[in-house]
Amino acid sequence: MIEVVKILFVEPSYIVREGLKTVLSRMGIAFRAEEAEEVRDNFQRLLEKHKPQIVFANPDLLAKSWHGNRSAAIFEGVVLIGLMSKESGEADSAHFDFLINTRHPRQEITQALMNILSKNGFISGETDSENISDRETDVLRLVALGFTNNEISDRLFISVHTVMTHRKNITRKLGIKTVSGLTVYAILNKIIEAGEVKGSSL
Amino acid sequence: MLINQDMKMADVIHLNHHLLHVINRFGIQLGYGEKTVKQLCAEHDVPLSFFLEIVNTFHDPGYFPVENLLQFKASRLIAYLHETHRYYLDFRIPEIANYIQRLRDDDGFGPEVKLLIQSFFSQYTHELTQHINREEQRVYPYVLSLEKYLESGGGDKELIGSLKQYSIHEYEEEHDDVESKLFDLKNIIIKYIPSPRDSRVLNLILHELFELENDLNNHAHIEDLILVPIVEKMEQEFLSGSNNPKIL
Repeated sequence: MIEVVKILFVEPSYIVREGLKTVLSRMGIAFRAEEAEEVRDNFQRLLEKHKPQIVFANPDLLAKSWHGNRSAAIFEGVVLIGLMSKESGEADSAHFDFLINTRHPRQEITQALMNILSKNGFISGETDSENISDRETDVLRLVALGFTNNEISDRLFISVHTVMTHRKNITRKLGIKTVSGLTVYAILNKIIEAGEVKGSSL
Repeated sequence: MLINQDMKMADVIHLNHHLLHVINRFGIQLGYGEKTVKQLCAEHDVPLSFFLEIVNTFHDPGYFPVENLLQFKASRLIAYLHETHRYYLDFRIPEIANYIQRLRDDDGFGPEVKLLIQSFFSQYTHELTQHINREEQRVYPYVLSLEKYLESGGGDKELIGSLKQYSIHEYEEEHDDVESKLFDLKNIIIKYIPSPRDSRVLNLILHELFELENDLNNHAHIEDLILVPIVEKMEQEFLSGSNNPKIL
C-alpha cells in the first residue's frame, strides 16, 4: 500500500514550499502537506496541531521560537529537516536531523531526500507488496472475530505489545485500518466465516 | 491559479468543476451568464471575502487562508458547514446507496460480497450521521451561543458552560475515525473484491467515494483552519470578559 506521509513545511518562501512539494511528488512520495509561513507562538504547538512525521523547516524561522528542547516527547518519531540556503552558518542547525541545501542542483537534492526518506522507512527498497505472514493471519483472524488485544494476547501466548506490532503490520500491508474493515477482508479471504463474528451485524 | 473577484463565474467552473457544489452551498445556482464572482456574491448577499476564502481553500488544498480570517462571523461559517452536512446526508450518501443497490442486480458477484459491501457502507453511513449530529447538536449551538453572548451580552452564560462539554481541540480529533472507515471501504473495493466480470458499477461507486472523501477532507480542513481559530478567539474573549464587571 502507499503510505501517505504527513509533512509540515515551515518556510516563508512560497516558491521553496511549492518547489519541495513538486520534488517530492516527482519522487513518487504520497504526502499530505501542511504549511506555515511563520511560527506565530511556538514551534511545539505547531507540531501538536499537525502531528507531522516529517518537518521541513527554515532554521531562521525556528531560531526565535525554539523554546523546547529536541528531546521533548512531541519530537519523538518526527524527522526534522533543515532547509539551508547557504553552505553553513545558519542558526541552530544542530537541532536538525538532516540538512538540505535548497540551492543544490536537482540530482543532489533528489539523492539527499531519497537517502533521508529511505533511512527513515518512508521509502522501502523492495516493493511493499508483501503478503501477511501466518502469525499475522492468526492475529487478524481474532481481531476480525472481535477479540480485544488482551484476549488475543492470552490466546496466542504473546505479549500485548507483540499483538499491537502485528496489528500495525497488518494495517500497513493491507491498507485497512478499522476492525470492521478487517472483518470484511477476513470474510472475503475465507479466513473466517460471516456467521462466526461475535456481536456483529455482519 | 486562485479564484478572484473579477473572474466570470462561468470561467471559475471551467477552471475547476468540482467547485459547483461548493458554490451551490452559498445559494448561487447555475445560469451565471457573463456575471463575475463579485456581481453574483452581491446579488446573493454573500460576503465576497468569505466566498473567496472558502472557494480557494477547496480549489487549492495548499491554500492557507490568513487574510481577515478571524473577522468572519462564526454564524456565517456554520451556515456553510451546515449546508455541506445537508449535502452529504441528503444527496451524496443516498447517491452512493443507489449505486450499491444497483450491485444487487449485478450477477458478477456472489451474494455474500454484495451483502458485505452493503453492510459496511451502512455502518459507515451510520457513523458519519452520528458524527454530523454531534456537530449539529453540540458543537454548533455552543459556538452560536458563544457568538451571541459576545455580541449582545445576551444569551445564557450557564448554557454556554453546559454546552461546552469538551474543548474545541478534542473535536478536531474526532474526524479521524470516520475517515478511516471510508479509507477502508475504498481499499476493500480496489483490492479485495473477488474480480467481477464487469466493474462498471463498482467504478462509479469508487468515483463517488473519492469525491466524498475529497469534500469531507475540505470540510475538516475548513473547520480546523477557520472555525477552530475563530472559536478559540471567542473563548478567550469570553473568559477574559467573565472577570470583567462591565460586561457582566
